[in-house]
Amino acid sequence: MGVTCVCQVPVVEGKSVQQTVEQLHKRLEQLGAVKQGSFFVDCETYHATTNTGAQPSKLLYVMHNSETPLSCLVLFDGGPTLAADANFDVLMVKLKSHFQNAKGHKVESRGARYRYADFLIKVGTVTMSSSARGISVEVEYSACVVPGDCWNLMKEFMQSFLGPSVPDLPSVFSSKAEGLFAPADCMDTMNQYLELFSKIRKQQVLPGSGVR
Amino acid sequence: MADVMNVGVNLEAFSQAINAIQALRSSVTRVFDSLKDGMKNKETLEGREKVFITDFQDNLQAVNRDLTELERLSNLVGRPSESHPLHNSGLLSLDPVQDKTPLYSQLLQAYKWSNKLQYHAGLASSLLNQQSLKRSANQIGASAKRRPKVQPSTLVLPIQYVDDVISRIGRMFPDMSIELFRPNGTSAVLLVTLGKVLKAIVVMRSLFIDRTIVRGYHENVYSEDGKLDIWSKSNYQVFQKVTDHATTALLHYQLPQMPDVVVRSFMTWLRSYTKLFQTPCQRCGKFLQDGLPPTWRDFRTLEAFHDTCRQ
Ligand SMILES: [Zn+2]
Repeated sequence: MGVTCVCQVPVVEGKSVQQTVEQLHKRLEQLGAVKQGSFFVDCETYHATTNTGAQPSKLLYVMHNSETPLSCLVLFDGGPTLAADANFDVLMVKLKSHFQNAKGHKVESRGARYRYADFLIKVGTVTMSSSARGISVEVEYSACVVPGDCWNLMKEFMQSFLGPSVPDLPSVFSSKAEGLFAPADCMDTMNQYLELFSKIRKQQVLPGSGVR
Repeated sequence: MADVMNVGVNLEAFSQAINAIQALRSSVTRVFDSLKDGMKNKETLEGREKVFITDFQDNLQAVNRDLTELERLSNLVGRPSESHPLHNSGLLSLDPVQDKTPLYSQLLQAYKWSNKLQYHAGLASSLLNQQSLKRSANQIGASAKRRPKVQPSTLVLPIQYVDDVISRIGRMFPDMSIELFRPNGTSAVLLVTLGKVLKAIVVMRSLFIDRTIVRGYHENVYSEDGKLDIWSKSNYQVFQKVTDHATTALLHYQLPQMPDVVVRSFMTWLRSYTKLFQTPCQRCGKFLQDGLPPTWRDFRTLEAFHDTCRQ
């Protein structure tokens, strides 16, 4: 696993989510990227029922990533993270009395996976309660493990198909730009997806954007 | 044709020993066959067990008997004589079908040629070296006297000397770690780790670099059995390209009389990849071309270029 950046791509004015996604696919294919299957990332939100005192209840996120199909990635709000076996979901059902599933909070991003030289690009449609709410683009440069080293290079690549509106160095890295990207799991990536999902959740629902 | 007795092998015993090996193999097969078939159908359980155990014992005894026989024969076979001047390849000369497969004479020819080639190449390189320093040709007379000095000796440098040269180079470049392995006898294999960018495996013959392969910092350099994997190429296009360029560099840096300078120059060149992902191309000013960063480094200036941007 190399260095990964997840960002939101605004929907082109006068076009639907689907049309914007198709436009991105076309630009990638013009570059010479080759389609390699599909991907998904999803996220369920739970809140702790054992709320002690005035503090707001802590949130727990249970995520899945098609790159690691045998694992379940669990992130505590501002706290520890863990990679568990896929049947962690069953455990959450048993823990019903402690963690309540926030109904209607399930978010997922699904789409196509492209390969271009040592880059892996995933263009996904972000869906919340079965309505398309936005577009996520994940770019991984798998040959390098130090975000600070290859950031300019990744930025140049992203500009080549996203235009000038390219994000800054993801905040998960700014604290450890010189350090190694966690190669063993994809927690840094999941953190970026989580950030993106909560940003999209706060946005207004786009009028007339049912899925497909 | 050479006398058979020269080989020091008792051929009679040899063919008997081969028969004994066949016998041993078939008796071992019988043991496992009977184990696999299990107990035969008999009226009583006791009867079944009894027959099975006696069969098993008989089979094991047969194995034992064949093994003893083989051991006895192997003492009679004797050892091939080791005094042959060309070691085992000398045995080729005993091949009775000389006319059909003249391997041995070809081998001798090739050996003679390679000796001659090495000698002449040494002479040529010493002459050329002199010309580069002193442009006039009047030194040739003097160099003729020196001729006997030139020996193709750099292929057999002492291990200790190679180790010293490598560790001195390692100390020159603190951001580059060089580990030395000798997985197969005296030839060294170097594992060079450059910052957090790449790992290079450099296969040496004495102080000459034989081949090199470059992989990503986070790629495996050991195979499953824990040995250095000196064959598989990198999974990443960028490092496959760097491997190609490093192989070109090996051909570029050549100075047969001073192999240590060659190794040092190569390492200096390899070290210029420390900012592989951070340096834009010196010609087009971009980071990427066809999805790859500038993978070429100029041999003299060490400047970074895309493969297609270099001249
Ligand atoms: Zn260039």
